[in-house]
Amino acid sequence: MKLSELVIKFDLKVKCGVHELDREIKGGYVSDLLSDVIANGRAGEVWITLQIHHNIVGVASLKSLAAIVIINGREPEEETIKKAEDEGIPIMVSKLPAFELVGRLYQAGISGTR
Amino acid sequence: MITYPKAPKIQELGYELKVRQAMNRNLITVEPRTSMSKLRGVLRSNRISGVPVTRENKLLGVICVEDLVNWLMSGAKDCAIEEKMSKDVVTLCADEPLVHAINKLQQYGFFHFPVLERESGELLGTITREDIIRKLLQKLEIEYREEEIRRYRASHIFEDIMADKTSLIFQYYIVGQDFNRAGESSSALKKSLKRLGTHPDIARRVAIAVYEAEMNVVIYARGGEITVKVDPNQIRIEVEDSGPGIPDIEKAMRPGYSTAPEWVRELGFGAGMGLNNIKKCADEMNITSTVGKGTRLEIYVATKKESVSYEVK
Amino acid sequence: MNLGKIRQILRAEVIVGSSPDREIEVCCACDLMSEVLSCVPTGSSCLLLTNLAHSQTIRTAEIAEIPVICFVRGRKPESQNIKLAKKNGLVLLSTYFSLYEASGRLYKEGMPGCSGSRVS
Repeated sequence: MKLSELVIKFDLKVKCGVHELDREIKGGYVSDLLSDVIANGRAGEVWITLQIHHNIVGVASLKSLAAIVIINGREPEEETIKKAEDEGIPIMVSKLPAFELVGRLYQAGISGTR
Repeated sequence: MITYPKAPKIQELGYELKVRQAMNRNLITVEPRTSMSKLRGVLRSNRISGVPVTRENKLLGVICVEDLVNWLMSGAKDCAIEEKMSKDVVTLCADEPLVHAINKLQQYGFFHFPVLERESGELLGTITREDIIRKLLQKLEIEYREEEIRRYRASHIFEDIMADKTSLIFQYYIVGQDFNRAGESSSALKKSLKRLGTHPDIARRVAIAVYEAEMNVVIYARGGEITVKVDPNQIRIEVEDSGPGIPDIEKAMRPGYSTAPEWVRELGFGAGMGLNNIKKCADEMNITSTVGKGTRLEIYVATKKESVSYEVK
Repeated sequence: MNLGKIRQILRAEVIVGSSPDREIEVCCACDLMSEVLSCVPTGSSCLLLTNLAHSQTIRTAEIAEIPVICFVRGRKPESQNIKLAKKNGLVLLSTYFSLYEASGRLYKEGMPGCSGSRVS
């Protein structure tokens, strides 16, 4: 599935990186701990998190993640958006809690690491 | 068949209690060489439906009323019990959780099981449904009564003390930077409020607010103090610390705004939701802070909605 | 969904406490404890799925009245924290699945989330 399909299918609001939505998603990862994502995240995955701090962009870029989805209706900090725009990391926002968004992605065939 | 109540508490006790604690140690046994004709007397005088057959405390088999009836019906001549007993006996070990006994009783439909010591195989006692139910009820009653007594004593304090106005004040001390102990005060406060008869939802709200405040002290300050004042109508909590202070309170209140160091974030805190959570839980919240001196947080929670009277300082 | 079924779906190991018939009404997957404190509805029987297995996860569950925590990626708390959980009557489980995989599997089997919204 492409990021652009993800946005439509799961009612996500795109905050930045509109030109990068052609990327293919290789899987999903959910975590609110940066060190955990650095250790276990895999390239091409969509990262679902509550964190809005600008450090998330650095982590996503380091691990070549496809995009970041911020959940529970939280809004990324301005600095986060600016940094993400520079690094070419799309950030989307969902109103759902992690469990429910992940559940829907999973049902749509986006799998996680075992 | 008895169906055991599916209450979580009973199930927990089923795992906590061991067969040893519930079994009947009053062992009535028969020797293998005892004659069948004597069995009836043994069963009748002890009002039991079956009896273990042992030699030197070792279980050889079990003989029950049914075996006796079959023997009588067959009209066979007298013989030793060991010839008629069932040798294939389902047993329990004394160190197994009680829930195993409950399961086995349901599975086999027997009335009792011999209980053995795991290592030596020695027969220690027997266990029946009645033994299990008695033990569970006893344990439930003890726990219930202990908490009831505490709760009764505490919840009547406002009625027992004669004064124009009664308030209770208790204090907790927070050790800064000690992440492992953070939350101890909130936990103790919550238990105390429940004993005082505070509505569980209110106790939960207060506990969440104080826990967040406590966490802030642990993260940012060297130490602090929580003072709780409980009136019949409201709870007032004051959290004071000698930390670095907050330069811009309005900014600090913004959801997601945080100055927490990375190690704190990695522990699942410091994501800028703390003060918001406190505000959400409180009926009123005041925060004052001096950079370099410390922060003082006041939280009010009304316990009786209809008669709220804030003491605004 | 009852605990027995949850254990089966997550192939989870019981660390402490066990009551297979206990009903769990909602599930929350989260590593930020403040979020857990503010999201979990009062009076609901909630399962917390989390990466964090330290003392504050247990404290959060106690304060917010969350009866069951399942740690993901095979994580387990230290013995003193297991004791703390036991004292507060919590059930602790551990699964080898990731937070993503564990959430996906439970949701697929019909477990509701805290907001209660659902598409099949």
